[in-house]
Amino acid sequence: MELFFMTVTTGVMVGGIYALIALGWVLIYKCSGVLNLAMGELTLIGAYASLAFYTMGIPFLFSLLLSLIVGFILGILTERIFLDKLIGEPVLTVIMVTVGLSFFFKGIVELIWSTDTRVFEPAVFPLEPLRFGAIVVGQVYLWSFIAAIILLVIFVSFFKYTRWGLAMQATADDEMAALSLGISARFVYAAAWAIAFMAAGVGGTLLGNINGLNISVGYMGLLVLPAVVLGGLNSVPGAIVGGIAIGVMQNLCGAYLDQYFPGGVKEIAPFAFMAIFLLFKPYGLWGWERIERV
Amino acid sequence: MSTTFLPCGVYHENYKQDHAWWQTRFIKSKMFLLLVSLFFIIPKIADTYWLSICNQIGYTVLGALGVQLLIGFCGQVTLGHAAFLAVGAYVSTLLVLEFPWPALLVQWGLAYPMSILIAALAAGFWCVLFGLPSARVKGFYLILTTMAAQFITVDFVITQYISQIGGRGQAFSLPPGTIKVGPWMIDSDIKVYYMMIVLVIICVIGMVNLLRSRVGRAWVAIRDNDISAEVMGINIVKYKLLAFFVAGFIGGIAGAVWISNLAAISPEHFPWFWSLWLVGVILIGGAGSVHGTIFGSIFMVVVMELLQMAVIPLADTYPKLLVDFLFIKESAFGLAICVFLIFEPNGLAYRWWQAKNYFNLWPFSY
Repeated sequence: MELFFMTVTTGVMVGGIYALIALGWVLIYKCSGVLNLAMGELTLIGAYASLAFYTMGIPFLFSLLLSLIVGFILGILTERIFLDKLIGEPVLTVIMVTVGLSFFFKGIVELIWSTDTRVFEPAVFPLEPLRFGAIVVGQVYLWSFIAAIILLVIFVSFFKYTRWGLAMQATADDEMAALSLGISARFVYAAAWAIAFMAAGVGGTLLGNINGLNISVGYMGLLVLPAVVLGGLNSVPGAIVGGIAIGVMQNLCGAYLDQYFPGGVKEIAPFAFMAIFLLFKPYGLWGWERIERV
Repeated sequence: MSTTFLPCGVYHENYKQDHAWWQTRFIKSKMFLLLVSLFFIIPKIADTYWLSICNQIGYTVLGALGVQLLIGFCGQVTLGHAAFLAVGAYVSTLLVLEFPWPALLVQWGLAYPMSILIAALAAGFWCVLFGLPSARVKGFYLILTTMAAQFITVDFVITQYISQIGGRGQAFSLPPGTIKVGPWMIDSDIKVYYMMIVLVIICVIGMVNLLRSRVGRAWVAIRDNDISAEVMGINIVKYKLLAFFVAGFIGGIAGAVWISNLAAISPEHFPWFWSLWLVGVILIGGAGSVHGTIFGSIFMVVVMELLQMAVIPLADTYPKLLVDFLFIKESAFGLAICVFLIFEPNGLAYRWWQAKNYFNLWPFSY
């Protein structure tokens, strides 16, 4: 039973990070309708940027802040250079452009930082675990979870209470009406990409703190796809719940099913789950139900 | 893209002429020249290095044909086709290495050709299994299921289970002399080249003819508008699954043929990158055209080789470049996809079509 509680706690905490990345994904989809397959590489770029700042001797919080700025600039550039020209093109074209972008970014990250695993040195979070009764939790997990939750709250309140956030919500809801009210759709698209870059970068930094940073963190970024499918492609609460659920499920599968298989269950389980889930409820838990005969 | 215009003064007098593949004597002689150069001139003038590049092109064409069929003609986007190549390659390898063939078949060199056929069938059925969700979902959701196919097949089933057969660990080695077609031992680039070229021609001809048939027209109808296709009486689920089967079948052939070129086969030969590479090839060549598959394959393989050739002389001054070449290649591939999709969405096949029409209609191109 202890094992169960411990895996669930760890799962929830890792899931918090997935939720943060998934939020960025959902935001891009809601605002501009782009199905983004480059999310893994966005996490890589942000994570490596903050690692670079951190190894320069800048305190962790400031390097995180600086990587947010880098993410913001890169997000706007990406949108302006590549995706701005694709408004109104078929869905497949846009998806494949994001695939192309993912290769482009990945190649550049590998070119600059090579493929060795890097760690944050000196360690950002204390190494000794915390004990809550029988449950033992690594401090990295706890602090990452807290950071992820804080950022989630900041982003959600940004949408709810600021003018820009409301503009983005309006565009997501009805683009034509938003345009006629004087909201610049191009600005909203660029902002969505900038925020996605920022959220993914923070998520990547936190993931890099847990296991060290290498290209496989980009694979973690792909895990947002099962998360957003579970929650519904265009639902922000769905992304958060989906991210946490995928984190918990992944850890449970790793703890309980691994002994029956030769290995690798932890990596595959979310995708296998997604394939089965899509058969029964393709629009997710809270997504818009678009009735389409196939 | 419609058909090419005929030159001035060529008229069809019956339907047979209208249906003919090669409609003028000029095209016939052109195709004959192509055949001659494929079978006699290229093997004569190319050295081992260029032959191996030709083999890579052939492999890419075979792999991308299935993707072209699914994406370009049936509208079912697949991002996991390397999984089906892997199934073909592994089934064929296992059959050749482990299956107790009757001595007679081995002697006649029929074991490998038969294993190619069985591997293709297995890959086809495996592909249908992952195409089943297409009965219920489409678009982005189908992309996700095909991605799941890649991860489940290659990273899980093959890495964790299939690779353990025989206790070899990661890779199956294929000792020289295991692969035999008829009386020929496939052990050099030139023999692989001949086998590859024959198979590429068979597959391309088969596919082009399939696309001219009732089945092919049904696929195109599903791609263009699935609801009206259903209204016209096309059984959508059946034809979609058929498309998945044929795509997997061709993919299985590609994988099974490619093992003749490898000394050992391991899951690393079929990464997710390779699936996306195949999709990139057809997008650059032009989706919805069989020409495009071939142009795209030639373009991608040759451009990457040229990039490598450009890197090697620079390596004396910048030794780091050789190590980093893989990453440069990845980046260049990504950028090429983006640039083609933004500036040349119809691909290379469109330019080819334009050029052909220009010369056919010259000098009165109005």
